[in-house]
Amino acid sequence: MKELSELKFPENLRYAESHEWLDAEGGTAKIGISDYAQDQLGDVVYVELPEVGKSFAKAAPFGSVESVKAVSELYMPVGGKVVAVNRALDGSPELVNKDPYGEGWMIAIEPSTPDEAKLLFTRQSYLDKLKG
Amino acid sequence: MSFELFHTDSRAWHLVHLGVVPYAEAWDLQARLVEARAAESLANDVVLVLEHPAVFTLGKRGGRENLLVPEDTLTRHGIPIVQVERGGNITYHAPGQLVVYPIIHLQRVGIKVVDMVERLEEVMIRTCAEWGIQAGRNPLNRGVWVGLKKIGAIGIAVRRGVSFHGMALNVNIDLGPFCWIQPCGLEGVGVTSMRMESGLDLEMTEVRRVLTQQMQTVFSVRLVPADLNHLLPSGLTLSHATG
Repeated sequence: MKELSELKFPENLRYAESHEWLDAEGGTAKIGISDYAQDQLGDVVYVELPEVGKSFAKAAPFGSVESVKAVSELYMPVGGKVVAVNRALDGSPELVNKDPYGEGWMIAIEPSTPDEAKLLFTRQSYLDKLKG
Repeated sequence: MSFELFHTDSRAWHLVHLGVVPYAEAWDLQARLVEARAAESLANDVVLVLEHPAVFTLGKRGGRENLLVPEDTLTRHGIPIVQVERGGNITYHAPGQLVVYPIIHLQRVGIKVVDMVERLEEVMIRTCAEWGIQAGRNPLNRGVWVGLKKIGAIGIAVRRGVSFHGMALNVNIDLGPFCWIQPCGLEGVGVTSMRMESGLDLEMTEVRRVLTQQMQTVFSVRLVPADLNHLLPSGLTLSHATG
């Protein structure tokens, strides 16, 4: 169990209230869950991800993550179409815990409206929210 | 494990005793409570305490491969098999097993998903201890064990920050149908009940009382009995509920 100060929140990412991150640099946007979220879940044993080509609205569930005996839904930080899925998580779900912003990424999407990302939390506003 | 370290909210949780409720009805009720809790139209967390008529359930990732008899056998005995969204593998519910579904806004209360699972285990361990049963955790698998026999199962789901599904403690349940499955998908393990382990004729009402008391201690909350009809605005359809 970690203190908030021990968790990492990269400056270049945007964060959703439901604790997913979005890397909107470039044409496609990568999505994963924050260091805070992986710490809340505990050891991840399975990640269920959608098929490439599927579209989801903002806040719609796009998959789920199973930590031991607990299944938690994952939600889209912005609306968009899935263009890539991190298949490495099939065999190594623990990457979500070990490297939530790197090898533990989940899906890449083509955002339906580029501006939606601007409504997400910045590193600072996400931290403020977590501190309550 | 030291529970004092966790941040807990001292608010009151609604405690609802439902009696014996068919699985599908309790499942539907949970979905409605989760939705209401996530939207804050339900201001407090809720703990449902109930028993199910005989049913097998599969976790999110299945577990049908751990059914050791043809599905016909279940059909002949009138036991349905249901696929649900909780964590964990195949399990069995029936009267004599105390089922608890905590509908808790984990984020608001400040409980991590992983702690929720551990605390539910703790509640069952402490409840067993009241009858002199030494139950504990097992690195093999979550849940609560007496040696290599499982006495209490856990499987939760989290939707919009709110937990549902929960725990099931074998009190005086007929363990027969457990032979039809490999519980939790594990080989070489068995199941047991509080009656088997204590050799006592256990009253469900008494176990229920102790368990809810332990829940108050482990979660540092007050469980306040509530009427379901007052929790959900649209009236309730628990037609089969008894007791």
